[in-house]
Amino acid sequence: MLGKLDWSAIPFDQPIPLVAGAVVLVAILCVLAWVVVKGHLPYLWREWITSVDHKRIGVMYILLASVMLLRGGSDAVMMRIQQAVAYQSQGYLPPEHYNQIFSAHGTIMIFFVAMPFVIGLMNLIVPLQLGVRDVAFPTLNSVGFWLTATGALLVNVSLVVGEFARTGWLAFPPLSELSYSPGVGVDYYAWSLQISGVGTLVAGINLVTTVLKLRTRGMNYLRMPMFCWTTLASNLLIVAAFPILTATLAMLLLDRYLGFHFFTNEAGGNVMMFMNLIWAWGHPEVYILVLPAFGIFSEVVSTFSGKALFGYRSMVLATMAICVISFMVWLHHFFTMGAGPDVNAIFGIASMIIAVPTGVKIYNWLFTMYGGRIRFATPMLWSVGFMVTFIIGGLTGVLVAVPPADFMLHNSMFLVAHFHNVIIGGVLFGAFAGFEYWFPKAFGFRLDERWGKAAFWFTFLGFYVTFMPLYIVGMLGMTRRMQHYDVAAWRPWMIIAAFGMAVLTIGVICQIMQLVVSIRDREALRDRTGDPWDGRSLEWATWSPPPVFNFAFNPDVRGEDAYWEMKAHARQQSFAHEEREYEDIEMPRNSPTGFVCAFFATIMGFALIWHIWWMVILGGIGAFATFVVFAWRDHDEYVIPAEEVARIDRVNIEERRSLVSMAGSV
Amino acid sequence: MSDETHLTAHHDLAPGEEEQHSVGERILGYVVGLGLALLLTATSFFIAGTDLVWQPSIPVALIVLAIAQMGVHLVFFLHITTGPDNTNNVLALAFGLLIVFLVVGGTVWIMSHLNANMPPMDQIMRMQ
Repeated sequence: MLGKLDWSAIPFDQPIPLVAGAVVLVAILCVLAWVVVKGHLPYLWREWITSVDHKRIGVMYILLASVMLLRGGSDAVMMRIQQAVAYQSQGYLPPEHYNQIFSAHGTIMIFFVAMPFVIGLMNLIVPLQLGVRDVAFPTLNSVGFWLTATGALLVNVSLVVGEFARTGWLAFPPLSELSYSPGVGVDYYAWSLQISGVGTLVAGINLVTTVLKLRTRGMNYLRMPMFCWTTLASNLLIVAAFPILTATLAMLLLDRYLGFHFFTNEAGGNVMMFMNLIWAWGHPEVYILVLPAFGIFSEVVSTFSGKALFGYRSMVLATMAICVISFMVWLHHFFTMGAGPDVNAIFGIASMIIAVPTGVKIYNWLFTMYGGRIRFATPMLWSVGFMVTFIIGGLTGVLVAVPPADFMLHNSMFLVAHFHNVIIGGVLFGAFAGFEYWFPKAFGFRLDERWGKAAFWFTFLGFYVTFMPLYIVGMLGMTRRMQHYDVAAWRPWMIIAAFGMAVLTIGVICQIMQLVVSIRDREALRDRTGDPWDGRSLEWATWSPPPVFNFAFNPDVRGEDAYWEMKAHARQQSFAHEEREYEDIEMPRNSPTGFVCAFFATIMGFALIWHIWWMVILGGIGAFATFVVFAWRDHDEYVIPAEEVARIDRVNIEERRSLVSMAGSV
Repeated sequence: MSDETHLTAHHDLAPGEEEQHSVGERILGYVVGLGLALLLTATSFFIAGTDLVWQPSIPVALIVLAIAQMGVHLVFFLHITTGPDNTNNVLALAFGLLIVFLVVGGTVWIMSHLNANMPPMDQIMRMQ
């Protein structure tokens, strides 16, 4: 009846996951109870859960990423403490638990923190920057988000029901095959990634189409803000690479469920084919994450330097070059597998070549700052911190791109330090910069600068104290994923790293405090102009938070830095304002399709993991029926009448005009 | 939403979207496509089994016919043209082909070299 599921699935003998799970469960129940008692449920359902508004979906993506960041971060804290104490002892985490933690940490941080964070920012901002009213497929967008949430949910369920994979974040066979991992851990891993992978692919298709097909009047390709270009490149990579991941995991699942032999040791399976395929996805994946971050830094650096981005066209070229070359380097993840010097040399050289366009970008940012009037607001701090940190990470990356050096450093802590250096220094700093920069746009008030700067400095310094020792222990020969060790020389460095983790944790607490303080002081921090940073692109042309239709009129774009140009133009005309004819606006209707679809997908995923076949069929039918119902819909748009648009728009214009005249009188 | 779509509509068509053609013209297009596709399929089957041509040329002929088949499908059924309204579709196709070439070609190359650092099997057997 319940497949493999019985009471033994709950880890009653392991206090840590059980207590953690219980605390989370109680917290969720409390929040739910509060929502229900306060009567917020209808509001949440109407305005958020069923919303197809790209801004709301973007915010929900970022919320999901932030919650999962706390989960993945707790895993990181546990690992650092374990390695600090497990010198000539077992530490406090038994091996099977420790293995689950590092597997979950990697999976969560990449798939459920970095991905939703950058996709959320792209969702939130790209339609605004393009001057349009929504993404190309609004309901599909909602489906994509909720399927990602399903994946995250399944990973978290594995904490208390059953177990998570013990195989590392990419579940390499033969360890991940049924004979070596008979439990449900790998199944949790694979099904949550399959389901959230569909969501990511859907988001990718949506954003590519949005950039290619929905641009306002005059928004040529070469007038698009840099963030839109990197969004295009990143989502092209999603569309090209994620099917490889899906196919590879599908083959692994066929091995595990139906006795196939794609990656088994016996019967002609080839383990190395898994490495090859998973990294053919895995390397583009790191550029999927970091390209949007590059876009964010381009926006931030140019805004806070008060200058147009230096070398815009070279930046576009570099972005698209990275987009293609990222598909030519994947072998550098397995130089040691034995492909021989010819193959290794070519992929090594390609890996070094991809550093060139990245270098071009760094110089462009530096030259944008050169001679600019730089304001060191929090987003700018994150950007400068990124440049310093990312260069170090990039250089160690070029070092391990040399095959002989890689043979020494493969799977060592040096590698761990390298990829945290580029992912934290690149993607996470970028996500935080974007968060600080666009928060006023999303919510209508700025974030507290003092807590923001404290968060930056603690995170920045904490990062160095945590990860520089890992480079050193890597050089001293420590391999990754060690549950305990006996080498005295490593010990002090591991203790320093654990101390660094404490500093990083203070950074996270500052980040949370910043949010709390800013929400408390929101009236004082209110952004009434819609343009708190003196921005250059179109998202600042509408007010904060933008109305559901984004722009009362589709903006006319006459050059790069569209909004900057408009402001200059308005100043020349001494803010003369002609009343324009408002028109009705058609907007897509909210739809529960995404939520219902994900609900059934969750049931199906859970049932597949536990081999509860009747429930698989139930979930599958439910998800398909949802799709059919949506496909047969009659009305999917509603009209906002012209008077309503005019009313909302006039309030905003008045507000802006009063601010401008106040500024003029001073 | 809708006005931007109209703005760009005449610049660019999605695959399967038709410009203003009469029904007769469209049916003719599909019939020609079907005819060509059937012809190419029949030729492939014929070539595969025949001894009328030089044997080593058969695989090459089959590859050429397969590529021609793809071309027929793209032109007559997916309506890829070289017109300015089709730039995005052609670029997407080119990008897709490039990625497939890189991944498949790279995989074949890598996997065929994986044993480069290993002695041949018979040598291992002799060592035991």
